[in-house]
Amino acid sequence: MFGQLIVNGIGTGLIVALPALALTLTFGILRFPNFAIGAMLTFSAYMAWTFNVLVGVPLIVSALLTILLFPLVAILCDAAVFRPLRDRGSITLLVASMGLSFVLENICRLFFGNAARNFDIPLARPHRLFDLRFTNEFLIAAAVSLSAMLIVYLILRWSALGRAMRAVADNPNLAAARGIDSGRVIKATWALSGALIAASGVLVGMDRAIDPQLGWNYIIVCFAAAILGGLGSPVGAVVGALMLGLIGELSTLVVPTNYRVGVAFAMIGVVLLLKPNGLFGTREIVK
Amino acid sequence: MKPKSILTAEAIRSGYGGDDIVNGVGFEVGAGEVFAIIGPNGSGKSTLIKTLAGIVPIRRGALSLFGGDVTALKAPQRIAAGMAYVPQEFNVFRNMTIAENLTLSTEFLGLRGQGARRERERVLEMFPDVAERQHLLAGNLSGGQRQMLAFACALISSPEVLLLDEPSAGLSPKLVTEIFDKMKAVNEMGTTVIVVEQNVAAILPYSDRAMVLVNGAVRHLSAASELAAEGDLHALFLGES
Repeated sequence: MFGQLIVNGIGTGLIVALPALALTLTFGILRFPNFAIGAMLTFSAYMAWTFNVLVGVPLIVSALLTILLFPLVAILCDAAVFRPLRDRGSITLLVASMGLSFVLENICRLFFGNAARNFDIPLARPHRLFDLRFTNEFLIAAAVSLSAMLIVYLILRWSALGRAMRAVADNPNLAAARGIDSGRVIKATWALSGALIAASGVLVGMDRAIDPQLGWNYIIVCFAAAILGGLGSPVGAVVGALMLGLIGELSTLVVPTNYRVGVAFAMIGVVLLLKPNGLFGTREIVK
Repeated sequence: MKPKSILTAEAIRSGYGGDDIVNGVGFEVGAGEVFAIIGPNGSGKSTLIKTLAGIVPIRRGALSLFGGDVTALKAPQRIAAGMAYVPQEFNVFRNMTIAENLTLSTEFLGLRGQGARRERERVLEMFPDVAERQHLLAGNLSGGQRQMLAFACALISSPEVLLLDEPSAGLSPKLVTEIFDKMKAVNEMGTTVIVVEQNVAAILPYSDRAMVLVNGAVRHLSAASELAAEGDLHALFLGES
């Protein structure tokens, strides 16, 4: 029982980790919390569903196409909504992201209606190992999430683009003084975030039915994970998501299942009381 | 004989929000000069040098470098045109190592591998203190070492014009002398230096010409030696001359 709860918690955490990572990446560079992350996740899930069910290509190909194409949607959203408002401050951008959220959600509703949709994937029995059940969805989510996190880590730590992203996140004026083109970095950040959101859209779509309000189920946990880890910290977002997943599942040992989200949020409250900037967050220095 | 002009500012206005901080400043800087910009707190010195660097946009007026108009260029393009800028504080990426800070500058030039290493070694010859600790986080360096690293990063692009914003801020008198000696050494290798400085007594001996800025406007511009001889700089700063 305990082991299975750990497995389930890790599964939930890994799925939430990707959009939380995307949220923290855009926050680190653009300094606003992107409320549209839930609607973007929904949009990408519909994109994958379109390739998979309407076009009829296998889910893995649909997922790859979505991961390749959705970053363009994210860059387009930035160009249309956020770029014109870049100098207006984080509250304006947050409100704009709320507007974008409604637009994306209603585009999905316009084209696909309100009916729930499912990917065309065969039902499969869970695999058993040491008395623990591992569903195919869990194994795929684990493989995709861990690979995505590794790729993001390698990009941020070792590539020229990653260094430029870290530099712009740390000090945009100094980055400009060193010749870093912030416009290029912002596009790359949206592309990377878009790919992460797309991957999570597919994983979420495998886990539950796709409907226009799919993303709403993930906005709060996604924000909670990013804030718990420390907004702007990629490692923090992943750790925050895993902690949320694990605490939520393990709490069912002592409280009814309905309260697990409440327990997870109470734990976040305690952590933030002790560390107001989150587990891996750094104190903002006003320059 | 006055050296050939390398940078010309014509009636520049710039600032933040709705207000102009720099109010129609004009001057020329000759090739190979050390040009000091001095003035009291709040006179607009830092805003002016940020404007020259392309960090703060020019609202009115014009800026030319080697006779070419760079008014509309942003900071990265001005670096490509031959400028480099060292900010007053927060002048290194504290969460990155010394090596990563330098690598960012070589990457801007499109250098990788051997070429990048050669450039880093060329610049670090001038800064042995920094060269020995390349794996350290820049945030763990002392104020003087951070300033040296910031200098080194700026020099990687072999700039024609180096813009320095209060390089002596927060440093001990010994370190101030060391920093200004480095600045002079860079200048003697052919780089024109424009330096904003609060420490007037320290900077004038290193400068060829100096400009006094008061309330965002030019109050006085002359040879540094003449300004040093004036004696009553206080009156100039307070606008009493």
